Amino acid sequence: MALDEYSKREFTVVGTRPVRQDGIDKVTGRAQYGADFSLPGMLHAVALRSPHAHARIKSIDTSAALALPGVKAIVTSADFATNHDVQSVQDHCLARDKAMYDGHAVAAVAATSAAVARKALKLIKVDYEILPHVTDIETSMKPGAPIVQEGRRGRKVPAHYSDNATGFCEFGHGDIEAGFAKADLIVERTFKTSSTHQGYVEPHACLASVGNDGRADLWCCTQGHFQVRNLCSKMLNMDQSALRVTASEIGGGFGGKTTVFIEPVALLLSQKTGRPVKMVMTRDEVFKASGPTVASMTDVKIGMTKDGRITAGYAHIRYEGGAWPSDTIYPGAQCAFASYDLEAVKSQGVNFLTNRPLQAAYRAPGSPQSTYAVESVVDELCQILGLDPIDARLKNAAKKGTKSSYGPTYDEIGLIPLLEAAKAHPHYSAPLGPNQGRGISNGFWFNFGGETAVSLAIDFDGSVTLVEGNPDIGGSRAAMSMMAAEELGIPYEKVRTIVADTASLGHNEVTHGSRVTFAVGLATIKAARAAKVEMCRRAAMVWGIPAEAVEWENGAARAMGHNAGEHEPMTIEQIGANSSKTGGPIVGHHETMAEGAGVSFGVHICDLHVDPETGYTTVLRYTVLQDAGKAIHPDYVEGQMQGGAVQGIGWALNEEYIYGKDGRLQNAGFLDYRIPVASDLPKIDTVILEIPNPGHPYGVRGVGETGIVPPLAAISNAVSHAIGVRMSELPMSPQRILHAIHSKG
Amino acid sequence: MVTVTIWGSLRDATDGAAEVEVNASTFIEVLNALKANYPGLTAQIDRGVSMSIDGLIYKDSWFTPVRPDSEVVLMPLMVGG
Amino acid sequence: MQYIAPATAKEAASLLHASTGIARVLAGGTDLLVQMKAGMIEPDLIVDIKKIKGMKDITPEAGGFRIGAAVSGTELGDHAGVCALWPGVVEAFELIGSTQVQGRCTMAGNLCNASPAGDAVPAMVAANAIARIVGPDGERDCPVQDIPVSPGKTSLKKGEFITSILLPARPKGSADAYLRFIPRTEMDIAVCSAGVSLTLAADGTCTAARVSLGAVAATVLLVEDAAKAIIGTKLDDASVAKLEAACSAACKPITDKRGTIEFRTEVAGVLARRATRIAQSRAGERT
Repeated sequence: MALDEYSKREFTVVGTRPVRQDGIDKVTGRAQYGADFSLPGMLHAVALRSPHAHARIKSIDTSAALALPGVKAIVTSADFATNHDVQSVQDHCLARDKAMYDGHAVAAVAATSAAVARKALKLIKVDYEILPHVTDIETSMKPGAPIVQEGRRGRKVPAHYSDNATGFCEFGHGDIEAGFAKADLIVERTFKTSSTHQGYVEPHACLASVGNDGRADLWCCTQGHFQVRNLCSKMLNMDQSALRVTASEIGGGFGGKTTVFIEPVALLLSQKTGRPVKMVMTRDEVFKASGPTVASMTDVKIGMTKDGRITAGYAHIRYEGGAWPSDTIYPGAQCAFASYDLEAVKSQGVNFLTNRPLQAAYRAPGSPQSTYAVESVVDELCQILGLDPIDARLKNAAKKGTKSSYGPTYDEIGLIPLLEAAKAHPHYSAPLGPNQGRGISNGFWFNFGGETAVSLAIDFDGSVTLVEGNPDIGGSRAAMSMMAAEELGIPYEKVRTIVADTASLGHNEVTHGSRVTFAVGLATIKAARAAKVEMCRRAAMVWGIPAEAVEWENGAARAMGHNAGEHEPMTIEQIGANSSKTGGPIVGHHETMAEGAGVSFGVHICDLHVDPETGYTTVLRYTVLQDAGKAIHPDYVEGQMQGGAVQGIGWALNEEYIYGKDGRLQNAGFLDYRIPVASDLPKIDTVILEIPNPGHPYGVRGVGETGIVPPLAAISNAVSHAIGVRMSELPMSPQRILHAIHSKG
Repeated sequence: MVTVTIWGSLRDATDGAAEVEVNASTFIEVLNALKANYPGLTAQIDRGVSMSIDGLIYKDSWFTPVRPDSEVVLMPLMVGG
Repeated sequence: MQYIAPATAKEAASLLHASTGIARVLAGGTDLLVQMKAGMIEPDLIVDIKKIKGMKDITPEAGGFRIGAAVSGTELGDHAGVCALWPGVVEAFELIGSTQVQGRCTMAGNLCNASPAGDAVPAMVAANAIARIVGPDGERDCPVQDIPVSPGKTSLKKGEFITSILLPARPKGSADAYLRFIPRTEMDIAVCSAGVSLTLAADGTCTAARVSLGAVAATVLLVEDAAKAIIGTKLDDASVAKLEAACSAACKPITDKRGTIEFRTEVAGVLARRATRIAQSRAGERT
């Protein structure tokens, strides 16, 4: 059996809950975030941003700003290399011919202080030709809508959509018309969601320093510093190796820090001035000019028999992802029906352009929106047919051997055990009071693997340094230390895991796709195994016996073969201490394209109360059940599950981008972009199921993203039951709910 | 021969066929054969695709073996959050 | 930018009066500093009034309390006498911002920020609180409801600032209450709000009432029709329904990112009704 395949085993470190090694630094302020880096001679940079939703840039006059004492350089898109495969990302960083949205950067100033730089912004004269704009998906898709970018119409887009439609996809199998013909009841509805921001607490921040030899260093908060390096080096026409990127601690990302916004601009300014340049976004800039997730408008049609069997499912998904094409329709269409075992299913996606910032990934990108629509219709079918919503889901649940709605046949998956656990959970049978409702929903997400490289050194005292290349956004350093400790048979405290810069390891894929604990964990285990093989070899040399006669157990090499003779076990401390004399430093390392990430399901139960006079919703009780494969550090698995639920609660109830008729964003701050505060939330209960992933030695599945998929429908279904009206648009703000209550008459 | 499932919106490149047969024994051979037999798929494949082989999703990995009885499903390249 | 922290109110008034550019008074700074950080305002002169004697004092006066202009939410909430006499004013003031903001924010600042959504203001209007103003021409008193004239604008003349607010004495059987609507539980701005102050006779008859609404017009409203609807009644459901209807009828809101005309108009009435019941229950304990 290959080492990376799962084998059942007992664990000593994995599954415990030690304190994370970065925790004390974070609570005492010692940890360095993006804005905490400084260098002598450093300049401060700020961006000039378009006040228009859509405008041609006829000219930019920087002369007066450049004449201001303290101003050292100004850059525009003309300073970048052009015509490469990351052009749209670059154009989002600095507008090329047109300002595409309110807040789009058109120039940036580096000066001796931020105050001088801000003063200089007012001296830059931009001659704009204001163009018609469109910020909402419903207008964008209609013929006659203002066209955001000419020539971007997707080849396969249905004819009735405007030229803002850039892409079309379709998945599914079977004959849905035949399926609908077999249904006793068909429900068809349209659902809308607003774009929502990832809401990370730390704004984007970086420090760039380009040397006179063209070699550069960049410190920034990011989910993937290798990705930052690759994107920036293309835009600046540099060798990848010439740019070393160091990831800071990160104050949240949730997908929004998987690309670049200010980093290439700071590098350009540093290149131009020969001095280090620091650039930090304000909160207003984060909302206006980083990437929220797509807004959506989805038609769903599902047929069901009286006894709860789904006969056919159809979804037509429309996503709006800002001013450049995006591919989020793909996972949106793939995930819509992924929880179901269906004979006939079809899901389509169409992407539309609008004058908004380019969407960025947000936790299971694309899945929450389409799942919300499907799970709402399933709930309504159950309600009309008088079926228990969990029983009906169990009747249709995907399982091992199901041909999924997106194509492949499932291996071991955990949906049925999750639904059974949800049904048996005391929450599901707890009584409800007046004006209260309960909602449930399934959710599905793929998990990824990807390029991964780690290095693990046995130090002279037997302690261990593990070097990985993925920014730690959810406790992954702790999880890696635990897996290394488990494999080596040493205490967790003996392993220190650090996130190295791009010059210290081979390429590591971004921290996204719920990949890190799976993929970096896999590489860590293999690196530790390589170190163990080497340590056994060293012990064998000392004992003068064949290496095959030595095995590793509980932190020590042991002579185990028939003719090995009697030898005291040689501990990791002894082997580390003698390593110089037995052949030099001992390092295990592993580089891989990690494959075999198992898919993941979640089931959420939500109870809430709606004030019938104000439309105010109080979430009373919330339970998340999710398949984690194997929970390495259960605290951080629970944290991911709770965090996903909380972001989903915000999305469902209050979060939205509000644009005025002028195309400008009206709520670019946490005051009016309402993420939940702690007192808005009940304790989020968690139930971790462990259905091992066959593709990981410890059975790990990704857990980071699935938790945000079910909440939208779980909460919408609960509100619908509480008020007796089916809700079909998010956010379900108090006024929308009150309006719905009045509409039932 | 290996049977490859093509997602819906690519089927105009395969004369509407949801499944096509190609002669291949690895990930990369599947892609090369698809491009050779169905040139309409080339643009999408060059933009990037994933492939599910017997239920496991591979992003790249050219030399992953594909058996004649393997379930092979072409999938879009994916990003996560 | 000049920052001055004078020792007397007279000196502060002269500085503000003499200023030729943009001058601002700094008490808690929870509006001013935020506006400066956001680049909304760049004052030429900041006059910090916290060093002026009496600004942090809460002083009993003629059965009521005089609240210094720099008294914070936390300080007012810790004062047993004020909490007992004007629970609605205290609960309104304590809704502003976070725990950290509560350590700095002031009622006078909330009033002079002149937002129709300021939480302390409707409660002060319902309480018939009186602001004491110092200016270049000396001292004057002005009812709180006459201070704001439109969003961001007050009736204070150049060089004038508020030094204290008087929460007056009130008869036995009196109480007040304040409710606001926000889509969250805290850290938000009122979509609409209502303050109710009333006095009950021993038999439960309402003998006096003042009803105010926030965030439903350009300034905080004092709704006299709502008060009339309950004065002389025992707060039976029909009378309180009239109060609710009078409140909704008085609303002249706008639709903006925080709420629609319809929502504000309807919910302001609901809040006024609920606040009336809370005030009634508090007053009932004191007859």
